[in-house]
Amino acid sequence: MRRILTLCAGLLLAGGALAAPDAQQLLAASDAIRNPDKPFGLTTTLIEYRNGKQIDTSALAIYSRADDRSGQFRSLLRFVAPVRDTGKLLLKNGNELWFYDPSSKGTIRISPQQRLLGQAANGDVVTVNLALDYRAQYGGEESIQDGDRQIRASHKLDLTARTADVTYHRIEMWLDAGNQRPLKARFYAESGQLLKTAYYRKYQSQLGRERPTETVIIDGLDPNWVTVMRFSDYAWREVPESWLQRDYLPRFKPD
Amino acid sequence: MQNKNPKPIRHHVSNIALLLLALLPGRPALAQAAGELDALALADNSTASAAPARDWQFFAELMAGGQDQRTSGWEAEQRLSLDLNADVRFAPDWRAVLSDRLDLGWSGWLNEDNQVNTLREAYLSWQPDPAQIYDLGRINLRSGVATGFNPTDFFKAGALRSVTSIAPASLRENRLGSGMLRGQWLWDGGSVSALYSPRLADQRSTAPFSADFGASNASDRGLLVFSQAINDWLNPQGLIYAESGAAPQLGMNLSLLASDATVLYVEYAGGRAASQIDQALGVAGPQRFQSQLATGLTQTFANKLSVTVEYQYSSAAPDAKAWQALQHDRQAYGMYRAWAGTMQALTTEQALFTYASWQDFPVTQSELAAMIRHDLTDQSSLVWLQAMYHLEHADLIVQWQYGTGDAFSVYGASPASQTIQAMLRYYF
Repeated sequence: MRRILTLCAGLLLAGGALAAPDAQQLLAASDAIRNPDKPFGLTTTLIEYRNGKQIDTSALAIYSRADDRSGQFRSLLRFVAPVRDTGKLLLKNGNELWFYDPSSKGTIRISPQQRLLGQAANGDVVTVNLALDYRAQYGGEESIQDGDRQIRASHKLDLTARTADVTYHRIEMWLDAGNQRPLKARFYAESGQLLKTAYYRKYQSQLGRERPTETVIIDGLDPNWVTVMRFSDYAWREVPESWLQRDYLPRFKPD
Repeated sequence: MQNKNPKPIRHHVSNIALLLLALLPGRPALAQAAGELDALALADNSTASAAPARDWQFFAELMAGGQDQRTSGWEAEQRLSLDLNADVRFAPDWRAVLSDRLDLGWSGWLNEDNQVNTLREAYLSWQPDPAQIYDLGRINLRSGVATGFNPTDFFKAGALRSVTSIAPASLRENRLGSGMLRGQWLWDGGSVSALYSPRLADQRSTAPFSADFGASNASDRGLLVFSQAINDWLNPQGLIYAESGAAPQLGMNLSLLASDATVLYVEYAGGRAASQIDQALGVAGPQRFQSQLATGLTQTFANKLSVTVEYQYSSAAPDAKAWQALQHDRQAYGMYRAWAGTMQALTTEQALFTYASWQDFPVTQSELAAMIRHDLTDQSSLVWLQAMYHLEHADLIVQWQYGTGDAFSVYGASPASQTIQAMLRYYF
């Protein structure tokens, strides 16, 4: 009898463990929704607001390709707007950032803290596979209001950085319980300070599946500081390995 | 496609409900939610669309200012500049690049002497496959990771045709490229480029619209640049430079990320050469191994302030003793200063360079920048400040510079002790 009870208890525990979703798998699934699985290009438009007033607009043409070894994305960016920044280039390979200014013809290394795009960190505008940089824990099921103001059942994930050299120390992320679509995220500094809140919205069919085509970023300290990031012109692109280096950067010109 | 069928009534109800909840005491989390709702409403109403990519940039810059002459007081100066950069892909593997600037300056009347056209670049580029590229024409090639002085920027010599600002970026921007044939070959994590720049003319030209190959191509030159990423954080670049009548020079560029806010860099060039004074005076002096170095760091702070501090050294430049001796020989001093300016060489053996830029300060869309060049040999200094405000298609810029030091020191010798310029730059 004791053996049967033990077996039942074991089955219940196993059943419970199976019922709790695998947080890391959920995160990887949401990454796959945001990020195409082959080299691609898109245009990102950033519209920045302060106190309800539009203060800045910039646009970037971006080519991205996942590293064959690490799986993390590396990106080439070309500034399309504003006109004063036309033709400036950025290469991002993890924390390795190279910036090229066509006026001075110089390619210099910049640090992740050197901002080129107002509120958006350099790491915000390029594709990132969060599952590689963060350890995810399941935080339960919650009903939240998504970016389209719909109440949705969601999985909450608590992400902790695997290394210190990522843009954000900790992230709270809410995924649609039905399809793992990222709905909302909160990004924190090491001090615990909320840095940003992001809503992923306007899902459209792009490069073979439904992907968010807009992210609304709200500053953690000043909620009146808002950046809207819009993604357009999705296309599969050839991005050879040999292009993802400093000495190719001055040559990069997206189609 | 959820946004194609908005449900305004439901939106309003849920917005109102959240706002009401936000007003209840003891609900800070929901108070934040109200701010988030406002943000989403902003995004809903945003009409901005993706800007089309452009192959060119063209701006006009109007400047009014004055120079405080040490002997005669303030003199007014004005300038109009037209600046074009174009990079057009006219066939799948082909690009054409053109970069030109026209400076029209006047202090009283506009006359021909104050017109300077700088044909910075005009070349064709052919990329037969992703890993090899060939260029032919005038190319403004710049090497170096340092900010204030670039020992490996071998093609800076003689390249300045019109100096409109002493900002480091401006000196690099407004210069002549050199006529050359260049090839670049790439592989995963590395690249090599080789170029040949032939002698095309002997004499510099002051004619306003001269292509001035006498300035940019006065001798046969060649450069080999090699780089290989060793790992994720180490990516050195090596250079070998050769020029007819001179010993080969070796160069090295290295920059490292010390933290997520700090970049360290070192730039070095070395090879056998005569002293700079001997080169300037045309004296066949003894040749020995000479080193040039620029090393420093750039630190970025959380408030978007970036500060660069750089140490600069040239063993071929005069040390304190040689510099003092030169200051007493006025003719030789004049020849040396003119040569050092043309070659963009370090004037004396050691200098310190500091550059700070502060984005969105004191208000958003503005930027403050400051530069101090301090000569460690004669303790003279140059201070430069710039305030810039960005509009959608225009920049408003005010620059002030001030030199201190003894009469024949590096920064105390210029005819003007201070200069102030106000500029309107309009982008078309």
